[in-house]
Amino acid sequence: MRHGGRWAGWAAIAAVFIWSAVATEVSAGRMVEGLPFMWDFLRRMVPPDPSVLGNAVRGAIQTIQIAIVGTVVAAVLALPVGFAAARNAAPRWLFYTSRLLLNAFRAVDTLVYALFFVAAVGLGPFPGVLAVIVYTATVLAKLYSEAIEAIEPGPVEAVRATGATSLQVLRWGVLPQLVPQFLSFTLYRFETNIRAAAVLGFVGAGGIGFYVQTYLRLLNYPAAASVLLVLVVLVMMVDFASSRLRARLV
Amino acid sequence: MIRVRGLRKDYPGGSRALDDVDLDIGPGEFVALIGPSGAGKSTLLRCLNGLVTPTAGRVEVGGVAVTGATPETLRRIRSGVGFVFQQFNLLRRLTVLENTVLGRLSHAARWRSLVGWFDAADLARARATLARVGLDGLDTRRIDTLSGGQQQRVAIARALVQAPAVILADEPMASLDPSLAHTVMELLRRINQEDGITVIASLHVLELAQAYGQRIIGLHRGRVVHDGAADSLDEAATTRIFGPGATGGAR
Repeated sequence: MRHGGRWAGWAAIAAVFIWSAVATEVSAGRMVEGLPFMWDFLRRMVPPDPSVLGNAVRGAIQTIQIAIVGTVVAAVLALPVGFAAARNAAPRWLFYTSRLLLNAFRAVDTLVYALFFVAAVGLGPFPGVLAVIVYTATVLAKLYSEAIEAIEPGPVEAVRATGATSLQVLRWGVLPQLVPQFLSFTLYRFETNIRAAAVLGFVGAGGIGFYVQTYLRLLNYPAAASVLLVLVVLVMMVDFASSRLRARLV
Repeated sequence: MIRVRGLRKDYPGGSRALDDVDLDIGPGEFVALIGPSGAGKSTLLRCLNGLVTPTAGRVEVGGVAVTGATPETLRRIRSGVGFVFQQFNLLRRLTVLENTVLGRLSHAARWRSLVGWFDAADLARARATLARVGLDGLDTRRIDTLSGGQQQRVAIARALVQAPAVILADEPMASLDPSLAHTVMELLRRINQEDGITVIASLHVLELAQAYGQRIIGLHRGRVVHDGAADSLDEAATTRIFGPGATGGAR
């Protein structure tokens, strides 16, 4: 019986996979036919055009700035929401409402928010910042709330046992357990936001993505290659610095 | 010093942790609280400083009622009662000195303590206490770099720095290597003798209770089934506490 159930499970997964593959027109033949074009695309990018490096770096810096402002504002907003969405910190009604709203907001990605904000406030980096804020705030609030729920009750009880006030218990029993984790999550989101902000330019929301898209549209592949290289270097540098910093926090 | 009358504690789900407990403990006593696990030792200790609110009965510490106390009164009582936990319950990412000075929170200026600005006098007191428990030179070390025995001594220093009249210790050596048990118990005995602090320690190792307790109180299923001097613990008493066939030292 259990054996049969397991086979049925695998068969169902296989069926769903095949159904999806057919619907998405997966074709090895077309893939192979496309190979020369991919090669051609890459070949035309070489050598990259160094004359657009100025633009690329300007775009990269703006991308970092979008990620910085977006992440910082999101972290501040996420702090109270994180407590509201923690089972052990909020009354039931608030916990359920917060969780529901967070899940709803989180279902939509940064790029979609960017489309919305470009329509609302116009082109440029500002709608990009707003998009990063909304998405990041919901993700961070969820992570914060999980950290709050995983807090060790022992040290909190110990601080209370010294005769400390509620605020002192919060400051010395609770926060020391949370702050390093909060910072670590926030830095991690900052890394992710650099990548998210890099494509915001595709929809007119500022940053290095604008140049990638523009040069590709103009069929100026060497220039696009330069911008992509700058993007790769940028992401690697931020990842390296941020993960070093995070390792020291925990 | 401590007066307990008719103390009862029922936990949700119907289990009765304490059943009609009466106790009087005088100043300067060293009491070993023994009993099998689940006998209500932790609950009793936590009722004494109000970490657990009893279902019925009355607890007084130093003549002040713990049961029904206002939050303000409760903080004042706790300030005079140190608590040492089985799992140490230290803030692992904070330093040894920071953890110790937390014992002064109830004396510290409230707003300054929130930003981590402690009085020089409180810090000096914390350092002196650390030296006393044999941890001098480790002030700036993070807790998670210490051994279990060192951590428990930090926890004792945190309780001691409160300048309490009573120290409650809940299985203070149960998470430690057996060889460290005597170090911790010896430290508690010294505190008891040199400072005149009343010590009530719950223990599950009979030999330790007999070696260190001047008075032994035995709990069985939430009731006091034995109360007497260290040498009063005969076979009949052991059976009442741990049940037939128990040879003590149950671990």
